[in-house]
Amino acid sequence: MIEAIINERHKKIGIINTGAGNLYSLNGCLRRIGFYPVTINQASDLERCELSALVVPGQGRFGTVMTNLKASGLDEVITNWYRDNKKLIGICVGLQIMFEESEEDPDVAGLGLLQGKVTRLQSPKQPMVGWADVQSSQDWLNNQTLYFVNSYGVRTSVQSIATVTYGQTFVAAVSSKNMIAFQCHPEKSGIAGEEVLKQCLS
Amino acid sequence: MSELNSSELIKKTEQGLKSRVIVCLDVAHGRVVKGVNFKGLQDMGDPVELAIRYQEQGADEIVFLDIKATLEQRANALETVTRVAENLSIPFTVGGGLNTYTDVAQFLNAGADKVALNSAAVKHPDLIDQIAKGFGSQCVVVAVDLNQEKDQQLEGENYQVFINGGNTPTDLDAMQWLAEVEQRGAGEVLLTAMHRDGTGLGFDNELMSKVSQQLGIQVIASGGASKPEHFTETFLAGSDAALAAGMFHRGEYTVGQVKDELLRNGVAVRNEYLKG
Repeated sequence: MIEAIINERHKKIGIINTGAGNLYSLNGCLRRIGFYPVTINQASDLERCELSALVVPGQGRFGTVMTNLKASGLDEVITNWYRDNKKLIGICVGLQIMFEESEEDPDVAGLGLLQGKVTRLQSPKQPMVGWADVQSSQDWLNNQTLYFVNSYGVRTSVQSIATVTYGQTFVAAVSSKNMIAFQCHPEKSGIAGEEVLKQCLS
Repeated sequence: MSELNSSELIKKTEQGLKSRVIVCLDVAHGRVVKGVNFKGLQDMGDPVELAIRYQEQGADEIVFLDIKATLEQRANALETVTRVAENLSIPFTVGGGLNTYTDVAQFLNAGADKVALNSAAVKHPDLIDQIAKGFGSQCVVVAVDLNQEKDQQLEGENYQVFINGGNTPTDLDAMQWLAEVEQRGAGEVLLTAMHRDGTGLGFDNELMSKVSQQLGIQVIASGGASKPEHFTETFLAGSDAALAAGMFHRGEYTVGQVKDELLRNGVAVRNEYLKG
């Protein structure tokens, strides 16, 4: 009964279980902005309910996340979801695995949905931890102050819709087909982050 | 006090990261407490409620230090951490009583963004490497408590590393320990000047400046803040972030008032609190 009410009121968002970190912050954030998060552990979980979007969360290192996704078959789930033009969100390492490869784990291939490589960033202090303004041609994203936690990133991409500068400039967000992915953590970025996610998911 | 000149401040600002204002909640038996020089504890309120209040005031991050952490209360503490993770929209760090890799894994898996290691890092430095490898450097904050030795005849380095909540001196050379902490994979250092803690005299900016220049990881200044000007001073001296407790808990200043002061002085900070 309660489940039915939730179903009716809130759009369900599938959270890909990458096996590389907890999802409390992301789930809490999605609930605060009016969505109902559902953890996706395997391909068959997609059939249980109608999802309005899939999110690849932002914890863990490139190689671990990709290895876990291959083992669970969720790598294909993400790829197919993207190819079918469905709404896909990536956060931090969830952005990075959309690319072909990463210097963090050179032996493990990324999903390769986007062309390019993740490299170690030359920042004044490593890792980059903290809040920075992003520059974007899109009003909803431009000048938002968002929380970054990373040592690796994508320097340039034709799909870039936002950049950030910490010592050097790199990609803060990419967009392709119905995918938007962030190098930063909107779920840890206060009200600004909640607004950004709301904009992407609505 | 060694300060950055204005062109250096502009350079720091252009590098892109905002100076962070961090509120520290000392937790004992599930309640936020405040002591002077680590002694004489006073009840301040519920951790989750207080964290949300400071988030609304504009805090960039919250640090929870469980200063009375015991194994018996572990389940309770983990539950609180999860409750914080679900309700807070800014990052938070948990420290106190984390002695082993398993302890750390429990708290990170319960929702903490980072853990702060203090005594355990001194006793088992390998722990830093292990956590950095297992969870990433960004999860590891090493808290270093330093006390200035006033009577020492030695020239140069005169800071002593303390452990066990500031009760036990060690033989470690402060600067060597800080360098080792970075080399082992810490993502940030939380540097507490014990001789300033609870005094309200402001941060030990000579120390912060020196350490910040020496290390390739960020330095969180701690100990001694009692007014907004102290934050301006420490950011001008080169601290990447600054932490305070009592001045906020006692209601003397809000985080917003600190940020107003910082903005007036040209220090780049996150200003979401102005929109609220």
